[in-house]
Amino acid sequence: MTFFHFFNCAALTFGPHAIYYKATPLSEYDTFNTCIKAAIVYLTTTFLKLVCLATFVQVSEHDTGFDLPQELLKGLIGFLDVAGLYYALTQVSHRSISQTHKFQAVALGWAFADAVLHRLAPLWVGAKGLEFTWEYLLQGVEANAHLVFTVSLAALGSLMWLRKNKPSALVPVIYASAAVVASMPSVVSYLRKGLAWDFEKVVSFELSASIVMAFVSWRLFSACQRPSQ
Amino acid sequence: MRGAKRQQQVMGRALVALVTVVMSVVVVEAAAVLDVYRMIQYDLGGVPMGSRRAALSHHATSGFAVPGADLSRAVVILPALKVNISSLNEFVQNKGLLGGLLLLLPQRSNGSGGDGDDSDENVAKALAELEQWLVHNTFQYPVYFAYESDNVQNILQEITANDAAGRPATATTGGYKLVVSVSDAKKLPSPTLTNIQGWLPGLRPAGDTSMLPTIAIVASYDTFGAAPALAAGSDSNGSGVAMLLELARLFSRLYANPNTRGPFNLLFGLTSGGPYNYNGTYNWLRNFDQRLKESMVYALCLNSLGSSSDRMWMHVSKPPENAFIRKIFSEIENVAQDLDLTVEPRHKKINISNSRVAWEHEQFSRQRITAVTLSQLEEAPELLQRSGGIADRRKTVNETVVMRNIKVVAESLARHIYGQEGKQVEVFAKGSNLALSPAYVRSWLDLLGRTPRVAPFLGKNAPIITALHKELAQHTKDASLQHETLDSAYVFYDLTKAQLNVYQVASVTFDFIVALAVGSYLILLFIVLFISTKGVDDFIGVFRKPPSRKYKST
Repeated sequence: MTFFHFFNCAALTFGPHAIYYKATPLSEYDTFNTCIKAAIVYLTTTFLKLVCLATFVQVSEHDTGFDLPQELLKGLIGFLDVAGLYYALTQVSHRSISQTHKFQAVALGWAFADAVLHRLAPLWVGAKGLEFTWEYLLQGVEANAHLVFTVSLAALGSLMWLRKNKPSALVPVIYASAAVVASMPSVVSYLRKGLAWDFEKVVSFELSASIVMAFVSWRLFSACQRPSQ
Repeated sequence: MRGAKRQQQVMGRALVALVTVVMSVVVVEAAAVLDVYRMIQYDLGGVPMGSRRAALSHHATSGFAVPGADLSRAVVILPALKVNISSLNEFVQNKGLLGGLLLLLPQRSNGSGGDGDDSDENVAKALAELEQWLVHNTFQYPVYFAYESDNVQNILQEITANDAAGRPATATTGGYKLVVSVSDAKKLPSPTLTNIQGWLPGLRPAGDTSMLPTIAIVASYDTFGAAPALAAGSDSNGSGVAMLLELARLFSRLYANPNTRGPFNLLFGLTSGGPYNYNGTYNWLRNFDQRLKESMVYALCLNSLGSSSDRMWMHVSKPPENAFIRKIFSEIENVAQDLDLTVEPRHKKINISNSRVAWEHEQFSRQRITAVTLSQLEEAPELLQRSGGIADRRKTVNETVVMRNIKVVAESLARHIYGQEGKQVEVFAKGSNLALSPAYVRSWLDLLGRTPRVAPFLGKNAPIITALHKELAQHTKDASLQHETLDSAYVFYDLTKAQLNVYQVASVTFDFIVALAVGSYLILLFIVLFISTKGVDDFIGVFRKPPSRKYKST
């Protein structure tokens, strides 16, 4: 029965990635290699982040407090994520695929690597036990929200770095939304530690925020698309 | 090309193998983990007794009459004091099937007898009754004991509430599941009984080569109870052992100086196998050489002398009118009178054909050695009764009583040894260097009260045996151990302690619902993404059979 639960949670966590790949034209254009490359870039970025965190951030004695300087530092280090995405989008050579598909493929690879790295091990160890908690299902929902966040960030990133001609009025909006999405992890950790929200509240907040940001980036993307058509 | 594909296949297979290996690693997280103590499992003359199973993995329920609960796949949790023994007996006699039984013992407090001595007595009585019933029945399912704690109380309350509301825990509805993952118990091969003896030689007048008369002081130190890991037997027979050690200490002081050494040898014996018809004593006596047997004047057996009472009985197998018995009795009575203790003789004839040995002195009597048992028990206990089980706790032993009893025995012994019968002489006066030591007795009572001593589980080198041996070696000249195998009519099985994991489990229906929800979410996601990126026509086209193929074949 507990394997059952594990499969449920795993399907919820990793299923959407596979479905995203299959359902959208990504599968037709054979963008798998892009996904793999994005995943590798994610791994390197995470490793670098880990090294920075270990070097600069102190481990506090009381876990539950929200230490503002430390959290700011962690947020700054989180911006390495953005740098990683920049690298994946621009520097790694992809086969010629259109803009729209490129950022989606990169985002997919990125989010999948993130889900596996952060959620597979706890899921494995925890969901198989006899004891039942809601945690792993909520973690799956969080993984979904994170996928949406990554797609929006990649979309905004591609807008920022890959598109040459953008309507100038929208440029600050693009940068602002990108900053908002990039700082999401810090916001979430503030909610969890500083305000001590329940996991369910935090996850619902993430879900709604991700949908909002996805909508915003979609509008921005289609707005920028028109001139090139 | 082919090589690359084959490599891929091999990699794929290796990955599957790795995943399967990793998948078998399970880390356990539970709502609560308890130490539980298994009920004893033994065979008596080939008849299986006690709890015959050890592994447990069932849902928990709070009682026998819960509607909708399947008892054969449930563990019933009962507080031990609230057990209705007669209804439980009925259930067992009707061969009712049960997944398991968990009995909760009242929390043990380390203070001695402060609050509510009355309730302590009732508790002890109830536990003793329960233990007696348990020990003499066979259970085909695991029976465990655990101490109540806040955690356990909360869980039990929740289970009771759920059961009362008509939602018992089963595989389909979820709830609490109790798991003890151990393998079945194995027989203990050749359990050993270890007798410990100490010899204090008396003063032989110069030129006399004959053997001095010997007085033996004996107490059995092992116990038997419903849970071997909890049978610490403070009164039966921790009190006897503590008394014996104090007597050894006092007389070793007297005998240390040749001027005060008495004309009697003193033989101190701590015997094992008490609950099993004093099997160890029998073996010990069998190994005596003839000279020792002939020199033995009498033996004093000490049993259960710690409960609050003003009466003591001297149990004998020779008729009390016998001159020698009368002499011993009057010595003890004289001393006891001054200490407000009533001593009464009690005669029980030995039936040679009956193998039941109710008192230790009967083993001596069967070897034609005069012996008496001093005890605060009035009636001879039945087999495996009053053998120091869970109910016999440290609290029930009254130190003052033990000290008084030691004084009585010590003074009457001294009067006999030094020929001071009838005289008002106090050898072990308070304030002298022969005074009784309450601290010494207390420390031994404490140690014995927290050491379970069921002989088959002790083995040859148990710490308590070594400690007793060392202690006797300090007070006596020759202290030695004797190992014998327990009578083969008794077979014991191991596994006395385990850990119980309490899980809160979700029901199967819940898992199905979640699977359904996740499945439909994924399908919905697929449809939405498909339609939004490729268009509705393509989506419908997936379901339509491709028409072109028919044309091609013709």
